Amino acid sequence: MTNLSMSTSDPIVLETRERGTETVPDTEEVPLTFRIKNLSIWYGEKRAINDVTLDISANAVTSIIGPSGCGKSTLLRSLNRMHELVPGTRIEGAVLLLGENLYALDVDPATVRRRVGMVFQKSNPFPTMSIGENVTIGLRLNGVRDQKFLNERLEKSLRMAALWDEVKDDLHKPGTSLSGGQQQRLCIARALAVEPEVILMDEPCSALDPIATAKIEELIHDLKAQYTIVIVTHNMQQAGRVSDYTAFLYLGRLVEFGPTTKIFTNPSDPQTEDYITGRFG
Amino acid sequence: MTPSKHTLGSFDEGLTALRNNVLMMAGLADRALDRAIKGLLQRDDNLCATAIADDEEIDQLEKQIDKEGVDVLLRFQPLASDLRRVVAAMKLSPNVERIGDQATNIARRARKLNRHPALREIEIIVPIQAHAMAMFKDAIDAFAREDVDLGRAVVARDKDLDYMNKLANRTLTDQMAQDPKQLRGYLNLIFISRSLERVGDHATNIAEEAVYAAAAEDIRHQAAAAAT
Amino acid sequence: MMHSKRKDRHRWRKFKSALVSFGTFAAAVSVIAPLGLVFFHLLVNGASSVNWDFFTQLPKPVGSPGGGMVNAIVGSLELLVLASVVGIPIGVLGGVYLAEYGSARGNSMLRFLADVLNGVPSITWGVVVYGLVVLRFKGFSAYAGGLALGIIMVPLILRTTEEVILLVPNGYREASLALGIARWKTIVHVVMKTASKGIITGILLALARIGGETAPLLFTAFGNRFWNHDLSQPVAALPLQIFTYAIAPYDDWHRQAWAGALVLVIGIFCVNVLVRILTRERARTTA
Repeated sequence: MTNLSMSTSDPIVLETRERGTETVPDTEEVPLTFRIKNLSIWYGEKRAINDVTLDISANAVTSIIGPSGCGKSTLLRSLNRMHELVPGTRIEGAVLLLGENLYALDVDPATVRRRVGMVFQKSNPFPTMSIGENVTIGLRLNGVRDQKFLNERLEKSLRMAALWDEVKDDLHKPGTSLSGGQQQRLCIARALAVEPEVILMDEPCSALDPIATAKIEELIHDLKAQYTIVIVTHNMQQAGRVSDYTAFLYLGRLVEFGPTTKIFTNPSDPQTEDYITGRFG
Repeated sequence: MTPSKHTLGSFDEGLTALRNNVLMMAGLADRALDRAIKGLLQRDDNLCATAIADDEEIDQLEKQIDKEGVDVLLRFQPLASDLRRVVAAMKLSPNVERIGDQATNIARRARKLNRHPALREIEIIVPIQAHAMAMFKDAIDAFAREDVDLGRAVVARDKDLDYMNKLANRTLTDQMAQDPKQLRGYLNLIFISRSLERVGDHATNIAEEAVYAAAAEDIRHQAAAAAT
Repeated sequence: MMHSKRKDRHRWRKFKSALVSFGTFAAAVSVIAPLGLVFFHLLVNGASSVNWDFFTQLPKPVGSPGGGMVNAIVGSLELLVLASVVGIPIGVLGGVYLAEYGSARGNSMLRFLADVLNGVPSITWGVVVYGLVVLRFKGFSAYAGGLALGIIMVPLILRTTEEVILLVPNGYREASLALGIARWKTIVHVVMKTASKGIITGILLALARIGGETAPLLFTAFGNRFWNHDLSQPVAALPLQIFTYAIAPYDDWHRQAWAGALVLVIGIFCVNVLVRILTRERARTTA
């Protein structure tokens, strides 16, 4: 199923959904969701992100890898202004989401976060709410009252998160009554319910067993047809399995960025090679 | 060629063991080939026998390399250059094993020839042998030292070897017409020449894998494409 | 020879261990014993006077036997409600502010002040409210009593609220904010909702504490021997009534005082049991 095509005068870029026949598109032709330009972020005196320029392609999975403390989480969080929750942060440069600078002075962080959703390392369904309430909370607290609409969106989000069949009869049960893997999918459904354009994932599987991890990776593969996904992971095999593009960060700098197959079979930068093959430290 | 060590020591050990087995196997094949040809040129049946005996060890090493390669893939999920090296080692070892088989073939035919009076035309084999064995040595060298240029050079030399083999064929076929009593002898020499030409083909394959391991470039079938 | 020495050392160690066990047990008993004694005394002296009349009848004039403390019980409840109006909003919102907003320095100053206020003797609040309200409006009133009790509630509720809100894991705040939910809505609908049991527990404990306060009511609510439904007039309260009856020279009143004290202690005890039930439920759901 073709996802994207250009006019006959331009080269046609095909993104097929069937596994194994995916061709990695030429980045110049593919629409970009994010353009990160010369981004630097300081926590007080410490410079956590150092002049990073990066393009995130639409409807693709981009992974950010690197050793601990290299700034991957900070970079991820800067895409929905969540890094601002830490007091004393300063930012230079721009992050353009479909052309609009997220850090322009008149932009409300809450609006940004409705367009760019986030799933965290430790699944965190709200404990005082049922499964159904968890999924719809983003809509309800932003003023949606129509029960029919909420129910439709509830089912749609749970189906997209591959959780509907498992919980459709238990929507009133507390969110915390699910297993770890199910809870993480619930959090994904909760993020999907507000219909963002991008989904950010911060090491979403690191607390899960291999089967639950595989289910979430399968989910990521299905979701990228409709969303742009950026995932931070310290598991290189996962980055290899799941992502189309990979960015390698070290000490706040972007060392290398490119299609995942290239980065993992023949990286250009020796630092990348050393990290990937486990020669670091 | 990467200077630093893996954080996981057993990973390094696994890769080193694999590499060493490839080099050992190549050394055995090289020696077998050398002995087989010497057995032919010096009319020494003992050399031929030892050449044939070596083949079993070469076969065992091929199995060992496959086993070790899968083990490294399974345990360490190697990436980038490590992955390429393991895959290359597993793909070139069958070529070395075939070279060992060719040495055995040559040794058998040499023994047959040794039962009859020496043929003058045996000398034709010498330059062909030298060229083929040089290609083999250089191909293994290219793999061991990750020398991309050397690997490419080996691939280029294959057509020379093919030409030499064609020439030898024509000469020997003419001789067969002139001196039909020695037909079997000449036929054996033709087969020996072809074995050496096959050795060159396998050396080419080894060189192509060496280039892939070193530079992530797949240079196979380029000559064929260029020729068409 | 060696074997018996080891046996001796072992016996000495066992003895020391037993001594310490007994010592700590005795200390625990000596803490609980007064509570037991109090209950025992109250039961012995007051149980006989706790009857239906006690809960339904007004105090009878001096000399006439019988009567009850219904106005004092109702008055105490009225005062608790008035105190809650003052104490709960300020305490809870203050606790939320300290936990979620403010600066590190400013907040530690506020916490220190709250702890100081906690330590102020309750009779002081009675005097302060007397000066501010009773003198101003030229009369004792339930409002004044409620205000005094409310002020005492504030630092109690503030500290417990702050503590339980700080216990809410940050992950929930982040998850809510990441959905584009505004900060204040996150605090109200997610954080406070998660901490709600804790906040309610804090409120109940504060109510139990002020339910028995007598001194601040002396100059504010003042007490009343009759029904009073006008909150701007003096109102009866159970501790006040107990105080008045206990120091009077009439036996009948003494018996009533015992009964009142018993009822008061049982009431406070019940609130504490309720708190325990709530907290145990919470422990079960989080486990």
